[in-house]
Amino acid sequence: MRFVLTSTVKDLRRIRRDPVTILTWLGIPTFIAIILVVIFGRGDARPNGKLLIVDEDQGIGATLLSGAFSQGALSNMISIEKVEREEGRHRINQGDASALLIIPKDFTIALLEGKAAQLQLLRNPAQRILPDIIEQVLSTLTDAAFYLQIVAGPQLREAARGATSDSGIAQLSVEFNHAVANSRKYLVPPMIQLETQVIEGKTDKPGGFAALMLPGMLYMAVFFIAGGLATDVWRERTFGALRRMATTPAGFGAFLAGKLIATFLVLLLVGAFGLAVAHFLADLRIANFPLAVLWIAVSGCGLYLFMMLLQSLASTERVANMLSNFVLLPLTMLGGSFFPFDLMPKGFAQIGRLTPNGWSVTELQKILDGAAVTPAAFAAVILFVVAGWLVVGWQVRRTAC
Amino acid sequence: MIEVAQLRKQYGDVVAVKDVTFTAQPGEIFGLLGPNGAGKTTTIGCISSLLTPTAGHIRVMGHDVVRDGVAARRSIGVVPQEIALYDDLSARENLSYWGGAQGLRGALLRDRITEVLELTGLLDRAKEPIKRFSGGMKRRLNFACGIVHQPRVLLLDEPTVGVDPQSRVRLLELVRDQAKGGASVLYTTHYMEEAQSLCDRLAIIDHGNIIAQGTLAELRALLAERDLLRLTGVFRPDAIREALARLEGVEIIQSDESQLSLSVSDASHRLPSLFAAINTAGEVRGTTLTQPSLESLFIKLTGKELRE
Repeated sequence: MRFVLTSTVKDLRRIRRDPVTILTWLGIPTFIAIILVVIFGRGDARPNGKLLIVDEDQGIGATLLSGAFSQGALSNMISIEKVEREEGRHRINQGDASALLIIPKDFTIALLEGKAAQLQLLRNPAQRILPDIIEQVLSTLTDAAFYLQIVAGPQLREAARGATSDSGIAQLSVEFNHAVANSRKYLVPPMIQLETQVIEGKTDKPGGFAALMLPGMLYMAVFFIAGGLATDVWRERTFGALRRMATTPAGFGAFLAGKLIATFLVLLLVGAFGLAVAHFLADLRIANFPLAVLWIAVSGCGLYLFMMLLQSLASTERVANMLSNFVLLPLTMLGGSFFPFDLMPKGFAQIGRLTPNGWSVTELQKILDGAAVTPAAFAAVILFVVAGWLVVGWQVRRTAC
Repeated sequence: MIEVAQLRKQYGDVVAVKDVTFTAQPGEIFGLLGPNGAGKTTTIGCISSLLTPTAGHIRVMGHDVVRDGVAARRSIGVVPQEIALYDDLSARENLSYWGGAQGLRGALLRDRITEVLELTGLLDRAKEPIKRFSGGMKRRLNFACGIVHQPRVLLLDEPTVGVDPQSRVRLLELVRDQAKGGASVLYTTHYMEEAQSLCDRLAIIDHGNIIAQGTLAELRALLAERDLLRLTGVFRPDAIREALARLEGVEIIQSDESQLSLSVSDASHRLPSLFAAINTAGEVRGTTLTQPSLESLFIKLTGKELRE
């Protein structure tokens, strides 16, 4: 038992003496988090674009139209800038905005009198989502204008003619009120009711897309670390440490247990560091930080033993590395490290969640979301680690001799 | 004490060691001399319980290495052929690890580490990562890791391969010290000089068989104090046999068209008559005369040089 500690200290010392490797391990999650934040932004990141408006009308209709883009959630995505026609055309040609809207002269008059008017929208061909949104909003607004004409056309035309006296304005108000009251039977209660159903597990996760990607990415780092540490068994085999170990009374069980504990501590450090980086850089919400770190370390030990078994089954170091890469790459792809399960085709996601790393990612996500501790999951991993320790210990001793 | 009886190790159809029997007493250095691939490392592997014998019995300090492996391994110190050390650890850390693997701990381990570092002349470099060490220093540390727990049985598998002469002398002194301290030492080598100067008793091994065993004096007696005369040139083997049959005290060890090895008593005084006889059956172009030694014994027993 005492030798387990000696063996752990030996492996930790060796890891500590290799600062490049340590920095690489800590760098992988940091680098991934930075890249994701740069690409997708922090937290609830949304696309952001600019709408250039050429207002040649200068009337109330144009003001209402421009103002519609500054309302509610749209204002977070689209910023409005009023420009002259020439400047607007020049800038949209330069790709300086998502779209250019030209509101022609006498647009308001046409709107009030129910005459035809033509709005011109020029889209930036280099963008897709934002010009689509702007076009959809504009289309909705023109539809709204059409229905307004149907409901209150005469009143609007009266207003356009210029009812200046108090009695005229009062008359107009009363008529407008009647028109609205007549419409109430269609509007209240609404004849079509939209029922919204929130599907469990499909709610928007806080932290945006970067945070959605990070648990899987973190496991990719864990997998790489596990693979890297597992290759050490080949170095020890090559320079004769395994043979020497076989001639001592200590035994391979203690030897391997020491390596496993050292790996656990390394993964504990990397897990804590990775989650902290993900939290501060990408706004990843972590409901239970200690449990999440513990889960990463324990499940990472399972992956380490899995990689070590592959290493010890190979006939040469070269074959061992090829075998590891052959297994590691598809597993990380399927296991949610390259694409989150939420974005995968359903069939692939189902298969991916069954891979050792995919299952670990799913469980980690549950812990991050604040789900209750799953003793069955921990028991399964610990059982896997114990079984792996026995099998790998036997296999390493066999290859040593 | 090491007791090996009728040891046999077989890999499929290949027999690496067959019916090897010997005993190494406490305080004795027992040498296992043979060329590469003779079965020396396999024998050490079986004694150190690294390999499981196919047949036979091995006892170390009374413990059967198969049935009572852990107890046997507690008595054994192994100095392997390869430098089985962690390059990124210091000398002290390596000793601490391998001493720990042998069951040492605490103050005893610390004291023993200092002792063996002093013994091997590495005390002043104890804290350096050993990747900065020379080959000779690594060899000495490799040895130190094998003796840190004061084993009663020390197995050394060609520990001086690739070592500079100074380090070799130092290592051999260290081995002698271990034997003087009461350890049974099994020393494998293919360097005859080492075996001659170091070992109390020797076994010559070839193709997995022990072909001769005894003290150096006993082995030399097998040569009957004869010199070894090796000739190169162009020979007719049948005619040579006929020509030399007339001379007394001459034995042909090996003969072909280009080489001739003879065991001859008092060869230096009989060279003229030998050349006269040989020249009737060929032409001599080169001559080597060797005094009775392990090499001449090996050639006599196997018909080939030790390094072949």
